[in-house]
Amino acid sequence: MHPNDPSTFASDHRYFSRWRTVLRRIVFFGSVLAVNTLATLWLADLFWSMGFQKAHFPLLAVFIVLNGLLVLGSFHAIFGALDMVLAGRKRTVRITRLAEGLSGPLKHRHAVVMPVYNEDSIKVCARIEAIYRSIQATGQLDSFDFFILSDTRDLDLWVREEVAWTNLCRRLGGFGRIYYRRRKTNENRKAGNIGDFVRTWGGGYEAMLVLDADSLMDGADIVTMVRVMESYPRLGILQTPPKLIRGASVFTRLQQFAMRLYGPLFIRGLNHWQLGGGSYWGHNALIRLQPFSEFCELPALPGSEPFGGRILSHDFVEAALMVAEGWEVWLAWDIEGTYEEAPPTLVDHLIRDRRWMQGNLQHLWLIFARKLPFPTRMHLFMGIMAYLGSPLWFLFLLLGTWIAWDRFSSNLSMLPFENFAHRWFGINGLQQSLILALFVFLLLFLPKILAVTRAIAIPSIRRSFGGTMPLVAGSLFETIVSMLLAPCIMAAHTVMVLGIVVGRSVGWGNQNRETDGTSWPDALRFHAFPMLLGIAWTILAVKISPGFAAWMSPILAGLVLSPLVSVWTSRTRYGRGLAKHGILNIPEEISPPEILRTADLANAAVDPALDATHPARTGVVAAVVDPYVNGVHVSLLEPSEWSPAEESLAERLLALGPDGISKSEMSELLYLAPAMLMVHRAVWLRPADGIHPAWTQAVESYRRRLDQ
Amino acid sequence: MGSPHHSLISLRPLSEEELLEWEEAYAAVEAYLQALRLRNRLLVAELVRGILTRASARRATEPDQPARHLAMEEALSEIAEWTQDVLAVPLENRRLAARGRLALLLAGMPDKWQGVFLTPAPWPPAFVEAMRSSYLAAGPRFAALTMVPRPLEFNAIGTGAAQWWETMDRKPIMRLMFAGLLTFLSALAVWFIFLD
Repeated sequence: MHPNDPSTFASDHRYFSRWRTVLRRIVFFGSVLAVNTLATLWLADLFWSMGFQKAHFPLLAVFIVLNGLLVLGSFHAIFGALDMVLAGRKRTVRITRLAEGLSGPLKHRHAVVMPVYNEDSIKVCARIEAIYRSIQATGQLDSFDFFILSDTRDLDLWVREEVAWTNLCRRLGGFGRIYYRRRKTNENRKAGNIGDFVRTWGGGYEAMLVLDADSLMDGADIVTMVRVMESYPRLGILQTPPKLIRGASVFTRLQQFAMRLYGPLFIRGLNHWQLGGGSYWGHNALIRLQPFSEFCELPALPGSEPFGGRILSHDFVEAALMVAEGWEVWLAWDIEGTYEEAPPTLVDHLIRDRRWMQGNLQHLWLIFARKLPFPTRMHLFMGIMAYLGSPLWFLFLLLGTWIAWDRFSSNLSMLPFENFAHRWFGINGLQQSLILALFVFLLLFLPKILAVTRAIAIPSIRRSFGGTMPLVAGSLFETIVSMLLAPCIMAAHTVMVLGIVVGRSVGWGNQNRETDGTSWPDALRFHAFPMLLGIAWTILAVKISPGFAAWMSPILAGLVLSPLVSVWTSRTRYGRGLAKHGILNIPEEISPPEILRTADLANAAVDPALDATHPARTGVVAAVVDPYVNGVHVSLLEPSEWSPAEESLAERLLALGPDGISKSEMSELLYLAPAMLMVHRAVWLRPADGIHPAWTQAVESYRRRLDQ
Repeated sequence: MGSPHHSLISLRPLSEEELLEWEEAYAAVEAYLQALRLRNRLLVAELVRGILTRASARRATEPDQPARHLAMEEALSEIAEWTQDVLAVPLENRRLAARGRLALLLAGMPDKWQGVFLTPAPWPPAFVEAMRSSYLAAGPRFAALTMVPRPLEFNAIGTGAAQWWETMDRKPIMRLMFAGLLTFLSALAVWFIFLD
């Protein structure tokens, strides 16, 4: 049977056979294991020739893990490149092939859900508008409903969300198709938010497309994904690889350029072995609702946070639970129209990492869970090591420095014995050290070399990045700045891991998506540890030997210069300057796709007729004073009665103004329709001396408009 | 809406204080109509005048009520009653006043139907239809699925670790002892590797 013919898929038939899947995994991980073992044995042989010290044992142990991770990463790119060269697009494993040739109306109804938490509601609605229009253009809009699922705690932002959503629906004719729901308590954070949607409305849909607040997806690609889901009954989750867009600072532009240029190789390599045992990255993915509701309610972990309690990084676990129950999770690597944004500065990136790190370290428990198949355990392991790798690298460098110091202070000769490699290949110890170092460097840089070579060799990719020169210049620039950033990130991750180990838990902050940059005091405060560490380490390295200091210089420079690099990469003006010269430009900037252009023009959520952003009546004040904002807000509330105590609270609000009562009291009133109606009447009926000036000024602000 | 030929004659003669009071009432009503995004000044002036006329008439029977209060009550009740007539639903409680305002917004009154606002029936059918079909729904009909967490099943190592971890969680002394043991072992390893 040909996989192109979805009508022949019985529910028990696999898109890719089990034995071929196993074979691919054996070849991939066998290669990683073999290369890592050889490198480790060679290093052990070299240590033996130097005379084993006690510190060599932990150094070798750490090397096995670190080098294993490095080989694993590089081999993703190598296998990705091989897949591209040998299989091409026609013969490669591509789950979206199932949608080829399909047309006509979709069979089921699907939901597009966007969880939001203290976000800019205008931008959120602009993204929804773009996706809505994009799906509309495919003619399949009737098969979709849209949900803005708010967990917003900021009361002003809550009112703004209601207003933006109402405007969006008014302009798009989206009432009854685009919905807005805010949870009163944000239990279990994002996973709880999605879970609440599934429990309330999930039964009405076959699948849900989960987006992040900064996600953007092309309508035609969404329809393709839905067709794949409808064609393949074993499919539980279909993940897309989102591209980073809209980077303004140097830091974000570096990230989006790297991901755009090097990403496809890694993605293809990942798809090569994970196949139907893939992972879920939390957004820009289509999820079948029935198995999700049945198997993916997250269990609590043993003990309390930070290692136990509620699972923070829910996505990997949800995919694991799905795969454990026999459902397939695929990566739709060839879906192009899938985008997200990145934190604008190194500091914001590290703050987000702190949250993700705790979530990923909780996954240690799942390594010991029953029933999880091998690829799922590998995903969990790689997620954990993405953060534990930093303290291990730090330890590796410390041990290396100690050994160098020990040799220096004891005046031992470097290579007194002949080792196996010397006997077999006739190369001396120094040459072996250089070859091993070159091997490590090759592993580090090979993915970049392969990606740049591919981009230059394929005219369409080369042109999409602006030509050969911008590609090479951007890649060199990205490599240099990444080398400077890496030690700082290593030090920060190490401190974070230690913080988590001693029991410091993390809250749920909203993500900063825009900034004017990191200030110098903030950078010096945030990066004080890596900078001071770097200075001390540099002094020690110079004392050991100038050669050792030179060897360590890329790391030490990154540590010492961390505040400077952090501030410099956070500046949007430098990012714009680089873009002006064509450096770090991505194809989506040079030739923006339709969905990005639509999102740029989207402004349905902005209408002066219904507005909660006027300086004199923002958010909560607008909900009280403005007849329309009040009308919208009250119409979205559940019917309720109010008590004398609540009446007295409303009187306090009128007398003391919005800042005169606590946030929880204000929240209580905002949920009471009778209270909101009463205060609305009161601010208009009562004379100025009977209410707080904040209300009077808000009322007056309408007259000023008339006078203008 | 008040008849154009009505005037505030019933109030005269007005003292300076009363003039100020009615000025505040005028400003409030005008601001409210402006808040409803009525942009046409002539229309706003006419509506304000009519509302103030009725408020001034009430003043004769309710002399203790401030002019602003009377005028705004007139404005709000007139809008509520008029939207009730257009929507053809009884305004049983104040919540429906919000429904009426919402309908005005969603029907596009500020953009398309300013001239119809507060006029007597008959109204243009398109306007009535737009008003009556205006509603907000935060979600579609409930279609529930159940989500029940299943406990994690650990292997032997995981089960042992979970029991140990929960014990440490319950008994801080155990946690302290464990942390002390780890610190001691780490110090021992450092001493053995680097200092011995």
